[in-house]
Amino acid sequence: MLRKRIIFTLIYDSGFFNQSRNFRLQKVGNIKWLEKNYKFNEIAFSLDELIVLNASKENKNMLEFANNLTKLVHNVFIPVAAGGGIRTLEDAKLLFDSGADKIVLNTVLFTNTNLVKDLVKLYGSQSIIASIDYKKINDKNRVFVKNGTDELDIDLSEYINKVISLEIGEIYLNSINRDGTGFGYDLDIMEGISKNINIPVIIAGGAGNEEHLAQGLKIETVSAVATANLFNFIGDGLTKAKKILIQSNFNVTQWR
Amino acid sequence: MKVVIIDYGMGNIQSIQGALKYIGVDEILVSNQESKISKADKIILPGVGSFTKAMQNIKNLGLDKILKTEVMVNKKPILGICLGMQLMTKNSTEDGFNLGLNFIDGSVDKFNFNNIKIPHVGFNQVSFNNQSKLYKDLVEPCDFYFTHSYKVDINSDVTNINLSTCDYGDNFLASYEFENIAAVQFHPELSQTNGLQLLNNFMKNF
Repeated sequence: MLRKRIIFTLIYDSGFFNQSRNFRLQKVGNIKWLEKNYKFNEIAFSLDELIVLNASKENKNMLEFANNLTKLVHNVFIPVAAGGGIRTLEDAKLLFDSGADKIVLNTVLFTNTNLVKDLVKLYGSQSIIASIDYKKINDKNRVFVKNGTDELDIDLSEYINKVISLEIGEIYLNSINRDGTGFGYDLDIMEGISKNINIPVIIAGGAGNEEHLAQGLKIETVSAVATANLFNFIGDGLTKAKKILIQSNFNVTQWR
Repeated sequence: MKVVIIDYGMGNIQSIQGALKYIGVDEILVSNQESKISKADKIILPGVGSFTKAMQNIKNLGLDKILKTEVMVNKKPILGICLGMQLMTKNSTEDGFNLGLNFIDGSVDKFNFNNIKIPHVGFNQVSFNNQSKLYKDLVEPCDFYFTHSYKVDINSDVTNINLSTCDYGDNFLASYEFENIAAVQFHPELSQTNGLQLLNNFMKNF
């Protein structure tokens, strides 16, 4: 039986990894800090996947980002997805060549669907994650692109259907309201949209402890839960959370 | 031990290289040159993406002939990973109908089981038997990382082939082992300790 996944997301900006709260970034440390506090080749045993996002708001230095990615994934033997600022085929190739197994697309899903189609043709659906940022405004889920700065005039479920029609492989649904709060996931998100979705969905935004991960994993239509919370899962935080989930009989991987 | 990873411009070769280095392979080549492939002790055929594009690239580089000589005539051990597993069969229905390398009598089709999400992404458990050389010293249930929309079926006339399966809506083929040919639908290089052990087994037992 297919396991549900626990994913860690790292938010990168100009050489630093960040704690994000409602998409406002706070620098935490550079790659050396991360290696010291997160030793990914060890912590990988508590993770099923790693996502690294370049969230620089101004000039996204792809080359510097790619260099950091290569350092990060050394001796890490789990799938790694990377993205943020992919605007051309060359950007995508650079990330694949720097250690990414999949790429994450966001803004181009709206601004350049031809590029998305080309990437799907070149690398296959399974290599492409569509990241969708949304915010609840007046009880309606609204879609945002460009690091959460530009609101689109389209309803979330309609946008999801549009994105799925581009034949991407997975959807990463990130709640801007919940992002970095540690209050737990937007658990209602799958209601009303899940019936339309025949590809894996990852939910993100709000997880602060293992109970939140558990709440997300319990939603039948959710394939994976992600957390980007550097503070709440520091040190052996993720390892402990995973242990508790296994003890509670969640259908997640167990490594010997 | 000298291992060559076939480079035909598709897929993330970096993680495979990293994993081989980690398990202590002395010399890892990444190449599409006949001179290098013929000198290697073992071949890895990786691949991510479209079957059609992959076969086009392979033919353009003349790799179909080079690999055929090494694998079918010289009986050099080869491990196909993901798309690499599919490319070694006779044909695929991806983008219509396309011919593969034809090292093994099988075909590639899209998942057609009911009530499943496609692509099949994530860790899933593989069932194998104790005659398998690939899964030696591994214990069931054994998680491996899958990410694919198409699967391989082997012609039932093929004998002396060792198969392992995985359950996603229904049973499908996770790997095959036939003489010097081994192939896995999942990514050992992304499957933690299980994957590293499997790569080690390929190096030792093939």
